Amino acid sequence: MDRFTAALAGLLGRSAGLLPAARREWAEAVLAEAGEVPAGMGRVAWLCGGLWLIAREVGMGRVIRVLAFAAGAAGLVWIGWPGASSNSATTLNRVYVAGALVLLAVLPWAVRRYVGPVRGGWAPRAARVGAYALVLALIAAKAVKDRHGSKLGAYFVMAPGLWALEIVLLLVIVGYVAGLFILTTERVRLTRWGLPAGIGLGAVTGGVLYALAPIGVSVDPDGPSLQWWGVAALALPVAAGLLVGRLAARAARPAVLTPGQGARQGCLAGACATATAALLVAVLTSATIALFPHLVPLEGTRAAGGGPDAAYIAGGGCETCDPVNTVIPPGLRHEYWVEISVGQAGMWPLAFLLIAPFVGAGLGAFAGGLASRSRGTSGRGADDPDALPPPALPAPSGMSGHRAPAAGK
Amino acid sequence: MAEGSRFSVQTLSVLAALCAEPAGWRHGYAIAKETGLRSGTLYPILIRLAERGLVEACWEEEQPAGRPRRHLYRLTPDGLARAKAALAEQAPRPHGRAAAAGGRRAAPEGA
Repeated sequence: MDRFTAALAGLLGRSAGLLPAARREWAEAVLAEAGEVPAGMGRVAWLCGGLWLIAREVGMGRVIRVLAFAAGAAGLVWIGWPGASSNSATTLNRVYVAGALVLLAVLPWAVRRYVGPVRGGWAPRAARVGAYALVLALIAAKAVKDRHGSKLGAYFVMAPGLWALEIVLLLVIVGYVAGLFILTTERVRLTRWGLPAGIGLGAVTGGVLYALAPIGVSVDPDGPSLQWWGVAALALPVAAGLLVGRLAARAARPAVLTPGQGARQGCLAGACATATAALLVAVLTSATIALFPHLVPLEGTRAAGGGPDAAYIAGGGCETCDPVNTVIPPGLRHEYWVEISVGQAGMWPLAFLLIAPFVGAGLGAFAGGLASRSRGTSGRGADDPDALPPPALPAPSGMSGHRAPAAGK
Repeated sequence: MAEGSRFSVQTLSVLAALCAEPAGWRHGYAIAKETGLRSGTLYPILIRLAERGLVEACWEEEQPAGRPRRHLYRLTPDGLARAKAALAEQAPRPHGRAAAAGGRRAAPEGA
């Protein structure tokens, strides 16, 4: 029995290394106290409990995350990888799938290594899972949409400039996840409800904008939806900044939040809100076009009705060809305009991804600074029952206190 | 507080053990003996409580003779307030104690 117990203790000691650094001490604590437990089955059960703790922590963390990512990756490959060699989007889609999966796979490690571990609580972890799901869905939907829009591959030439733009877009999309990962680390101080508030406001706004223009605003640039986008781009980060600025001010009581602190909270919340809205609109719009390409109006319709491009279109002009003076055979012209319409629909949401977080950060910082100065965010006493503790960095080990008494009980 | 109602019976038993002597530091085996929880149940609860800022943890500073240093736990001020509220909320229930005792063998819900 002693040898068995010693073997279990050795296994527990070595297995503790499987846990993240913040959790390792807990397994070491079980091991340290095994000597207190009466020898025999009691001690074996105690050590087995320690092994169960490790299996549970590793399993609930790493293994489930890896399996979930593997399932998402398999889904993305299944949707995004296939394609005819004559389709000019096939190569691009495969680069997107492979590039996105590699970047998303190393991202958690890189952020943990260079920025720090995830903040405690449900919101940061839920936000990370949601961001991964959204980005995988966006790349899958974009791949299907582009596949629909490039079947006549000879007339949709991927010029080097277009490749560069697409690679930049891929990096920006992955950058959204990277930004969220950084925002949800222990190092970034965001007030307690800042992340749910920013994401919630962004999700509601994104849902409304999608409902206004499910196939994107490019199909009707004169319609009211583009104006609503403008209003949302201004109002959303301001609202998020004001709300989170006030939340931070309440949480900081009885101390007073400085304008700089308020602006920082507002900046993070505004960026988070606009990024959420932009990503959600891009995902939903791309998915709608991918699933219902026949609903996309023909892009050349207005021009063919007498616009300046009417003659160009009627003459079989090919604006995506190289050389550009290529003439599309009459039998393929309708198919060409159907495909170019599908391919270019929903480009506005994707383009907006490039600037959304910066607009949100700037306006959110302004609003957060205002919120910290406004009346009503200070002046209530420390006895306020609703006051929240100030945002604080958890201890590096993941434990909340590390005072060391001279002797334990 | 409303959050108190979200504690599992196992977590409540840990909070009760820590609440009995809030200023003192307790080690895991003592809590396990008092609550009847196994280490595989107790430590995940302590981890969750520590992550939520309700429990603070540390190692004994001095190396005692003949045994390894212990990992020690006690409630934070916030943890003490929430523990008292949760236990007070639990106390008026007619079968609360019996339910807590029976629940020790149930699957843990986490903290």
